[in-house]
Amino acid sequence: MCICLMKPGLPGMPHKGAAMTTTLSALPAAARASSQPKVKGVQHWSNALFVLPFVLVYIALLVVPVVTGLWLSLNDVDVLSGDRAFIGLANFARLWHDDIFRGAIRNTFLFVLMTTPAFVALGLALALALNRQDRVGTALRTIFFGSSVLSVTIVTLVWRLVFMTDKGLLANVMHSLGLASINPLTSSALALPAIALVTVWWIIGLPMMLFLAALQQIPEEIYEAAAMDNAGRWRTFWSITLPQLRKTVALVAIIEVILQFQLFGQAQLMTNGGPNNSSRPLVQFIYEAGFQQWALGYSAAAAQVLFGLMLIGVALQMWISKRGQTQSGEST
Amino acid sequence: MQAGMTTRSLLALCLGAALGTGHAATEITLARFFGACEADYGKVTDVSKATGECGTITSLVNQYNATNKEGVVVKAEVAEWGPYYDQLTSRIVAHNVPTIAVMHQSVLGDFVSRKLVEPLDDGFKSVGINTADFTPHAKRGVVIGGKTYALPFDTWSWLWHINVNYFKKAGLTTPDGQPILPKSPDELLAQAKKIKDATGKPYFSWTTANETAAPTRTFLTLMYQQNAQVFGADGRKISVHTPAATNALTLMNKLWTEGYIKKGLDYGATQQAFTSGDVAVDVVGNWTINDFLVAAAKADSPLHDGYDVVPFANLYGKKAIFADGHSWVLIKGGTHNDAEKKAALSFLKFLWDHDYDWSRTGHLPANNKVVQSAQYQGLPYRKNILEITQIGVTTPSNVPRQRAIEAIIGEEISSMMLSGKAIPAVEDAIESRVNTLLASVH
Repeated sequence: MCICLMKPGLPGMPHKGAAMTTTLSALPAAARASSQPKVKGVQHWSNALFVLPFVLVYIALLVVPVVTGLWLSLNDVDVLSGDRAFIGLANFARLWHDDIFRGAIRNTFLFVLMTTPAFVALGLALALALNRQDRVGTALRTIFFGSSVLSVTIVTLVWRLVFMTDKGLLANVMHSLGLASINPLTSSALALPAIALVTVWWIIGLPMMLFLAALQQIPEEIYEAAAMDNAGRWRTFWSITLPQLRKTVALVAIIEVILQFQLFGQAQLMTNGGPNNSSRPLVQFIYEAGFQQWALGYSAAAAQVLFGLMLIGVALQMWISKRGQTQSGEST
Repeated sequence: MQAGMTTRSLLALCLGAALGTGHAATEITLARFFGACEADYGKVTDVSKATGECGTITSLVNQYNATNKEGVVVKAEVAEWGPYYDQLTSRIVAHNVPTIAVMHQSVLGDFVSRKLVEPLDDGFKSVGINTADFTPHAKRGVVIGGKTYALPFDTWSWLWHINVNYFKKAGLTTPDGQPILPKSPDELLAQAKKIKDATGKPYFSWTTANETAAPTRTFLTLMYQQNAQVFGADGRKISVHTPAATNALTLMNKLWTEGYIKKGLDYGATQQAFTSGDVAVDVVGNWTINDFLVAAAKADSPLHDGYDVVPFANLYGKKAIFADGHSWVLIKGGTHNDAEKKAALSFLKFLWDHDYDWSRTGHLPANNKVVQSAQYQGLPYRKNILEITQIGVTTPSNVPRQRAIEAIIGEEISSMMLSGKAIPAVEDAIESRVNTLLASVH
C-alpha cells in the first residue's frame, strides 16, 4: 500500500510512477475508495504528536534564533545595555563598505577552497590505503582519527610550537636544510594556508572514516568480476570504486563546505586574523563585532551574509553532485 | 509525635550548627584573569610565600578564605585575559553576573556609562577604605563623574626590561654600571646598531604575533611623549594624520625593517627571548618584574647580575608613558542580598590592605601609603619606576570602546611591520576604522 504515497513523475523515477498508475487503475473502485482514507491518514491527526517534540525543539532552537537574528540585523543594538533602534538595511550598507568585512569574505572563501578538496582527496587516499583488516591498518586508522578528538586549543598550541620562530620544529627543519626559518603565521601570504594545513591535519579523520564506511559497502563481487576481466588497479578504481563512492564524495564535500565556512577557533588562536587581515574569517568578524565592539546588530547582519553564502555554497554543491548523478544515470 | 520530635531535632541541629560556626558561609564569586596556578598555589594561605601575579592573587584569596571571621568564601572564576571581557559581557547579558570582577581602568567607563557598575563610595566608607589614599593615577582611573566605581588595585605601565650585560658589551653603561638610555629616536637607532654589532642580538623583543597590545602601547607612549592629542576633547574622534603619529610610526617601522626588533614572537616567546638572552631589551609591562628577578637570580641565566628595569625611555620632549591599572568592581546584579554585598566589601577591604603584597609582582601600588612606605621602596628597582604614578597617561575615560580601539590600532601597526603596509595607509585605516566605530556609539 505504501507505494500509493509516491507521486507519479517524481524526478528520477518515471518508470515506477507509470507502473504505479497502472496498478492503481487496475484496482476495483470500491477497494480504492475504502483504502484511501486509511492511506492518507487524514483522521489520524494525533499522529502529529509523535513529531511534535521535534518540531517544538526545532522551532525553539533553530527557527526562533534565525528569525531573531534577521530582526537584529535590521537594528542598531548595544549588546550590553540592550538599547536598540530600527535602522533598516543600514548595517548591510555599512558591511558593503567595510574593508575588513570584505577581506573576511575573501579569506573564508579561500579557506573553503583550500580545505574542501584536500579533505575529499586526502580522506579518500587515506581510506583506500587503510581499508585493510590487519593490525597495522587498525592502528593507523586510530592514529589518523585520533587528532579529531583533540580540542582546538590543544591543536593550535601544538602547531604554534611547530611554527615558532627560530625554535620551532619547522625552523629546525629549515635550518638543517640550510634555509632561513620562517614563521608562516606572521606572513600575509602563508598565514591562511598554514591554518588550512592545521585544520586538515586536525579533522581529516572524519572524511577518512566516511570513505572507509563507503568502501566497505561496495560489493566484493564487482571487484571479483573486474579481476576476471583482467582490469588493472587504476581501471578498477576509476570504473568501480570512484563511481560507487560518488554519493560519499558529495556528502564529504557538503559537510566540509558547511564546516569550513564556520572557521573560527584556529584563526583566532593562531593569528588573531592577521597579519593585515589576511586570515580573519567571517565568524571571527561576527564575534569581534558582537563581543568586542558590542555592535550586535552589525554582527547579526554579518551573520546573515554568512548564512546566505553557506546556503548558496551548499545548494551549488548539491546541484553539481545531482547533475553528475543524472548525467551518469543517463550515460548508463 | 515521632515526626514532631524529628523536626525539632533537625531544627536544633541546624541552630547548633549555625551557633557553632558563628555564621552560615556566604559564598561570593570573583571573576578574574591573571592566570590559573592551582597546582602550585592552590593550598598556599600565606601570601608572603607567593610570587608572580597568579601566585599572589591565588594566595590572597586562599588567605582571605582561611582567615576571615565573617564566614565568607570567595570562589575564584578564572578566565584567560584575552577573551576575559568577551566572557564577562556574555555573562552580564545572560544574567550570570559574578559578585566581584577585575576590570582595567580603561574599560571601566564603558560599563559605567551603561549603569552596569555599582558606585562604591558608601560601601568603602562602611569598611574603612579611604578614597583619599588612592594615588592620583588610580583616582583618575576609578572616579567618574565624582563617584568612585571601583577599587583600584594597581597602576601598570610600559617598561623596558634591560639585559645590562649586553649594554655593557656594547659600551652603553655608565661607570657605575647603569644602562645609558637613548634620548631621541636617532640615539635609539644608534644604540640598536651598537648592540647588534657587539652581541649579534636584536635590541628589542616585543610581541608582534597574534597580539595587538604591544604595538598599541608603544605607539601611544611615543605619541604622549610628543605631547600629541590622539583623541578629540569629546572622545569621539581619533586623529593620527599628524606629524607626531608619522614620527612614531616611522621610528617603529625603521626598528622593524632594520632588524632591531626580534621577529615572529608571540607573548610567551617574547618573554622567553629575553630570559634566554636573545635580545637586549624586552618591552612589556610591570607584571614580569618579579619573574625576571627570579630568572636573574640563577647563576646560568644570561640576566645574572645584569637585569634592570626602567620606564619606556623618553625619546621626545615630554616625560610621558602609556599607563593603565587593574581595579575591582561590583557589577549590578552580582550581589543578591545584603550579606553578599557585605561579604564583597569585606573582601575588597582585604585586598586594599594587601596592596603591598600585590605590588611585589611589579605593579605600582594604588595606595599612596604603600607607595610612600619604606617597605615598598625597598623592593628592587621600584625607585626606577615610581615616577610612573606621576607621568603615566591614560586614555581619557570619555573615549568609549577603548579595548576595541586599542585592538584596531595594534592591528594596523602590525600590518605595517609584518606586511609592509605604507605609513599613510596605516594612518588612513586607523582613522577610518576607529572613527566609524566611535560614530556607531550612542
